[in-house]
Amino acid sequence: MNALATDMATEPDAAAETASREELLRVDNVSLSFGGVKAITDISFDILKGEIRAIIGPNGAGKTSMLNVINGFYHPQQGTITWQGKERRKIKPHEAVSQGIARTFQNVALFKGMSTLDNIMAGRATAMKANIFFQMFWYGPAMREEIEHRKKVEDIIDFLEIQAIRRTPVGKLPYGLQKRVELARALAMEPDLLLLDEPMAGMNLEEKEDMSRFILDVNQEFGTTIALIEHDMGVVMDLSDRVVVLDYGKKIADGTPEEVQGNQDVIDAYLGVAH
Amino acid sequence: MIFRTAGQYKTSYEADQALFPVKQDFYLVLGILLLGYVVFPLTASEFTFKALLVPVLIYALAALGLNILTGYCGQLSLGTGAFMGVGAYATYKLMTIVPEMNIFAAIFLSGFFSAAVGVAFGLPSLRIKGFYLAIATLAAQFFLVWLFEKWAWLYNYNASGAIEVATSSVFGITVTGPTALPIVQYYCVLIVVTLVTWVAINLTRGRYGRMWKATRDMDIAAELVGIKLMTAKLTAFAVSSYIVGVAGGLLVFFWKGAAEPNLFDIPLSFQILFIAIIGGLGSILGNFLGAILIVALPVILNLIPSTLGIPVDSATLEHLNVMIVGALIIAFLILEPHGLARFYAIIREKFILWPFPY
Ligand SMILES: Nc1ncnc2c1ncn2[C@@H]1O[C@H](COP(=O)(O)OP(=O)(O)OP(=O)(O)O)[C@@H](O)[C@H]1O
Ligand SMILES: [Mg+2]
Repeated sequence: MNALATDMATEPDAAAETASREELLRVDNVSLSFGGVKAITDISFDILKGEIRAIIGPNGAGKTSMLNVINGFYHPQQGTITWQGKERRKIKPHEAVSQGIARTFQNVALFKGMSTLDNIMAGRATAMKANIFFQMFWYGPAMREEIEHRKKVEDIIDFLEIQAIRRTPVGKLPYGLQKRVELARALAMEPDLLLLDEPMAGMNLEEKEDMSRFILDVNQEFGTTIALIEHDMGVVMDLSDRVVVLDYGKKIADGTPEEVQGNQDVIDAYLGVAH
Repeated sequence: MIFRTAGQYKTSYEADQALFPVKQDFYLVLGILLLGYVVFPLTASEFTFKALLVPVLIYALAALGLNILTGYCGQLSLGTGAFMGVGAYATYKLMTIVPEMNIFAAIFLSGFFSAAVGVAFGLPSLRIKGFYLAIATLAAQFFLVWLFEKWAWLYNYNASGAIEVATSSVFGITVTGPTALPIVQYYCVLIVVTLVTWVAINLTRGRYGRMWKATRDMDIAAELVGIKLMTAKLTAFAVSSYIVGVAGGLLVFFWKGAAEPNLFDIPLSFQILFIAIIGGLGSILGNFLGAILIVALPVILNLIPSTLGIPVDSATLEHLNVMIVGALIIAFLILEPHGLARFYAIIREKFILWPFPY
């Protein structure tokens, strides 16, 4: 009896663990449309601190639009967003960055003419403040700031194992590496919430494995909360703590990977059953 | 000169972020400075100063200013000539109002006027891009030259409508006006150009440079990584117009000696744009290479007939010059959009790897 109790205390089940976690972000009844096109209809879900939250669904389901709402790029016509317990007013994307929300893009959105190092350094734009007059003479605060941020960026470069391409213009890198540099740039923003829009699209198996490892490491070592859009079901099942499923702009399921996998609506959506 | 980066390991980020992390680059720049500050002054003739060295430096500086805006920040401007005019007229007015002012102080101050005007005309860039922005800057070009003509206060109500540079001196040496020695004026220009170029290098390799380049490469992504596009674009307009304005002040006070409004008209804007394109957009060095080419070409063309003994009239040479420059621009735009600076980069790369090309 006693032994059983201790057993249960040391190995709490996954559901209990998530339940005890604090809420980082919540969207309530969010709707977004472009002219006549309804991209998102009345969606509510939450993201808990420290979890990996997958957002899945067929093409055009509204996943990317959802991320764009979360980072202030789109403004929903209806609904509210609660960030760290406070209802958020309408914000601009750069404000989202300073509040701790960073993202990567479905189509790589790097600065093609800049080196890997400069791309990642650009991720620290909001954190760097040195006055233009110090910059002009590369003096005092400007130089100290540059070095301080360079150190952080070098840590990220080591972490993602991209030392060798530090000076390469990113336009010349293969696609898989570009995706990795984009992750590095997002990490440079030191986000509390990291939004990843199909980070493994177009990658081969080996690259996917690397990327999965990095995502898990980011989550575990830095405690970064991650919202992940991904089409590869294997990856989603392996990485995520909870999954929200969208279809035609509506939420059709929400739960642990196992729960979602067995959900009839989800199976229908993926098999393309007529609505 | 042989480039070797092997064996030059950086033990600190300070060292890696030094102006010239590769030692050979440092020697190269030292060599160029030596040429500019010692060799040329010792050897050049009055003609060389006036027809080659001084104009190369001034045009290179103006192109550098334009390059900050167009090459680094991706905002095309067709109004460079007019912004040079703002710098020139501002210097002129400052020197009339306070005649005892140091001419360098006047030129560096006048840059703030062109910067302010640049920011004002840069405001549309927050709304429009590309072709439409280029047209907006063209409107600035027309408006400003019109202002230089119509606003008599700017040229002190001279009957000629032109501004004329009065004699002024620094530390007892005459630096402007008809009696100033070409070698003195050359040094004045060289010092200003060196200083401004160094500042431009610092700005482009740091936080602002990254903001500008990010805005150029993908403005939406720049915004989404937290870069304020407004700050990026307006600082680019300000810094660019400042440098262009300083170049305008130098143009009139240390080279031409006098100027009419039409000096700052569209042909000047295009000449500077061509230098930036041929030299290489997004490069500092390129502006100098481009300026050397554009300034030297007509001079060399002029020398050919007399040395070869072929009689060619000057109008034909003029046409020939325009044709060659036009062909070069088209060739560069199609074949090597990064201009002469890229050739240098390729050669440098080859030397670093030499003799093992892999
Ligand atoms: N800027 C826009 N203007 C008009 N319609 C848009 C815009 N962005 C998205 N949409 C529409 O909203 C719907 C959802 O698009 P979204 O990109 O969010 O889907 P998604 O789930 O990310 O799809 P995919 O898996 O293909 O990336 C689509 O019908 C799309 O056409
Ligand atoms: Mg998408």
